[in-house]
Amino acid sequence: MNGQIRKLGIVMLVIYSALFIQLNMVQLIKADEYSANPANRREILRDFGKPRGQILAADGTVIARSVPDGGSFPFRREYPMGDLFAHIAGYYSFSFGSEGIERFYNDDLAGRTGKVTVDGIANLLVDEERTADVTLTISPAVQQVAKDALGTKRGSVVAIDPRTGALLALWSYPSFDPNAVSVNDQEAASKTRTALLANPANPMLAHAYRETYFPGSTFKVVTAAAGLSADKITPTEPAYPESQTYVPPLTKIPIRNFNNSTCGGTLFPILQVSCNTAFAQMGVDIGADTLVTTTQAFGFGEVPPIDLPNATASTIADVESFDRNTPVLAQTAIGQNAVRATPLQMALVAGAIGNAGVAMTPHVMSEIRNNDAQVIDRYEPRPWLKAIEPDVATILRDAMINVVERGTATRLAVPGVPTAGKTGTAQIGNGLSHAWIIGFAPADAPRVAIAVILEGQEGASEQTGGRVAAPIGRTVLTAALAATQ
Amino acid sequence: MTRSQPHSSPRATELGLIVLAALITTGAYILASFGTLASLPVNIGPFLVVILVLLLAAHIATRRLAPNSDRVLLPLAGLLNGIGYVIIARLDDSLAGLQATWTAVGVGAYILTLLIVRRTRDLERYRYTFMLIGVGLLLMPLLPVIGRNINGARIWVRVGPLSFQPGEPAKIALALFFASYLVEKRELLGKAARHLGPIALPKLRHLGPVILAWGASLVVMMAERDLGSSLLFFTFFVVMLWVATERASYLMIGSLLFSAGAVVAWQTFSHVQVRVSMWLNPWQGISQSVPQIAEATFAMAWGGIAGTGLGLGQPQRIPASETDFIFAAIGEELGLLGTTAMLVAFILMVGGGLRIALRARTPFDKLLATGLTAIMGFQAFIIIGGVIRLVPLTGITLPFVSYGGSSLVANYVLLALLMRISHAANSEDELHDSDGMGGLNPVVTGFEASS
Repeated sequence: MNGQIRKLGIVMLVIYSALFIQLNMVQLIKADEYSANPANRREILRDFGKPRGQILAADGTVIARSVPDGGSFPFRREYPMGDLFAHIAGYYSFSFGSEGIERFYNDDLAGRTGKVTVDGIANLLVDEERTADVTLTISPAVQQVAKDALGTKRGSVVAIDPRTGALLALWSYPSFDPNAVSVNDQEAASKTRTALLANPANPMLAHAYRETYFPGSTFKVVTAAAGLSADKITPTEPAYPESQTYVPPLTKIPIRNFNNSTCGGTLFPILQVSCNTAFAQMGVDIGADTLVTTTQAFGFGEVPPIDLPNATASTIADVESFDRNTPVLAQTAIGQNAVRATPLQMALVAGAIGNAGVAMTPHVMSEIRNNDAQVIDRYEPRPWLKAIEPDVATILRDAMINVVERGTATRLAVPGVPTAGKTGTAQIGNGLSHAWIIGFAPADAPRVAIAVILEGQEGASEQTGGRVAAPIGRTVLTAALAATQ
Repeated sequence: MTRSQPHSSPRATELGLIVLAALITTGAYILASFGTLASLPVNIGPFLVVILVLLLAAHIATRRLAPNSDRVLLPLAGLLNGIGYVIIARLDDSLAGLQATWTAVGVGAYILTLLIVRRTRDLERYRYTFMLIGVGLLLMPLLPVIGRNINGARIWVRVGPLSFQPGEPAKIALALFFASYLVEKRELLGKAARHLGPIALPKLRHLGPVILAWGASLVVMMAERDLGSSLLFFTFFVVMLWVATERASYLMIGSLLFSAGAVVAWQTFSHVQVRVSMWLNPWQGISQSVPQIAEATFAMAWGGIAGTGLGLGQPQRIPASETDFIFAAIGEELGLLGTTAMLVAFILMVGGGLRIALRARTPFDKLLATGLTAIMGFQAFIIIGGVIRLVPLTGITLPFVSYGGSSLVANYVLLALLMRISHAANSEDELHDSDGMGGLNPVVTGFEASS
């Protein structure tokens, strides 16, 4: 019997070894795969059981922090600046997941990136939470100016440093209080969120980079850029006829100038007064191919690689759809019908013109620091697109300076600083329009580019953009210039 | 033969190991309390006293009643019981008190068994009583009124306020019956009727007991839906038959019968099919609800190598984490290191049990020790393997670790029987040694010098 007993011992050893091997499979080799399974709630519960890193503004102001909570989780997120940074920092809610920076840089904030943890291994035996703080490129001062300047008008303000792509302001009204959706009382959070979603103004949507609009006359700089890039126009040629109306081929419905005014001429005068008839004809003359190519070179049709989740691409219809449809091509050339842009995209257009034709990658993170305040990640500015040649950019810049000096955008002029700009009024029917302004300053070496939109303004004259949007643009430009000295 | 110093008698070693087990358990208890409540447990003093008193009571009883028995089994059982208790207390306060009570009852049963069973050969006489008790206990949950269906398995009996799983004591009774029955019949069963190549086939009529055991385990599986017990029951019976007769053909016949039974069961019973498909693909339907086995896998993966730390994981997410799935809870909070330690503890217990079997002087003792060890070893394998998806999951308790009175008490009785056999075997050595016949068994462990 002893022989069998010994064999039984061997069998036991073998089957227990099999257990050991399988244990290694589950707890070591495939552990990461299992932990990443979406049905596994452990990660999110773990994250809610400990404090996250802070989100800080450019000047160190706390935008988001974890505070102890007596509710169902030990901590909750607090946003001391309320709605001011809601569309940037986002929120961090157990019931609704996360948004904004909280989402995009979650691994850093939760202390889960390689850099944080590799550093953390040395601290394994120390009872310390290894998380990282994210510092933004945006300072509350400029952001607050943008908020105050827009007031209670629905719209967005975007300010960006065209040299680096660093955002300086990113504000949309209405915004929302992220504290209310981040409370651990799930019922209260749910109620707040339902109310916000039911609001037709959709305050939770970061309109500045997630909503597209007709860019209106601000798009004329893109049309001009297309003509210049394709050598189909120059500052002196052609001179478009002085006219009240332009009737594109294949239709009898004319395109009119605002207030039925008469305008025409070469590039500078027609941009100065934002001449619809001339730019509509320019669009038809240069052709869909040229217009679409340059528009896409500015980033339309592509999601901007901003470090915020779910940015929206600006759009222009494809070349084929303009075939034998010159009326639509003519309207598109003046920023209506088949083109839509986010406020962020229009700021990038202005910035690219100011930055010798190169659009830098837009971003809101400036650096990430670990618990010991060591910088573990810094945003290195990098080009996103080369939209136009430098000489084309120079012509457009001068044309836009002219618009501010003599044209529709005089209200954009920052005192003592050469300013370039372009107004826009995108008609949306019922006598309403979106009022736009884009611009940059100082015009010769811009540190700030802006785009402002006010949605659904009364009136449909080209003066609308210059009257209501340009002053806001100037205020924000001034504040941002002061901040980037 | 003085391989060790006089003071290192088996009981002294045992005492040292018991203190160690108590300290580990107490340390784990304190850590778990820090993990869940961030404070020292309020009852830490009484806790330490109770655990020491219980283990010392078992130790002193062993010292008095079976002084020459194995030195590591009791501390190992105490350690497994202690770690199990810590996890249970950490998961559910209300179960902790009950488990402590059951541990006390288990230790009492251990002492009582050592007191009553002074010589194992006395047990041989009651073999048919044990058979009746075993079969009776096994079928008890099927009785009306007292039988209870819990979680789809009819393995519970409730009398008044007390409910228990008769399957747990039934295993011991059946092990006793098989051991004595097989000792008597092993010559007969071992005779080959004819040879099929190198395989010696037993006579057909001698297959009767195998068929009977197979049928009984099928009945348990069908009527009580208790796959784990049925598998365990059949396995340890076939192993005992093989050890008794020294005929490998019984293993093969047993495996064939098992396979046939498994195939039929898979085709016939939906709950068997569910178990198999959950084993092969635990992720199906995970978007609606996370299956138990997937939750256990998540827990163990989350624990990783070092675990989350006691009290710092989320093992309460695993259904049945105090009982059948306690191993997954250990895996989450103590990590691969903790689960490996559990495996080592079990394989040490199995090794200790088989060593006792090897050294036992009578065939009955050998067979009984083998059977009891096989029960413990296979039971732990079946449930751990099920939880970590090495084999299909069949619900059964993890010996000494899981919450549950029936299981704890039965395993302490099982341990007492092993200790009794161990004492008898070593005492005979001692006798032989003093007669100048030492060295008969090379595995003597060095207590001789003290005699």
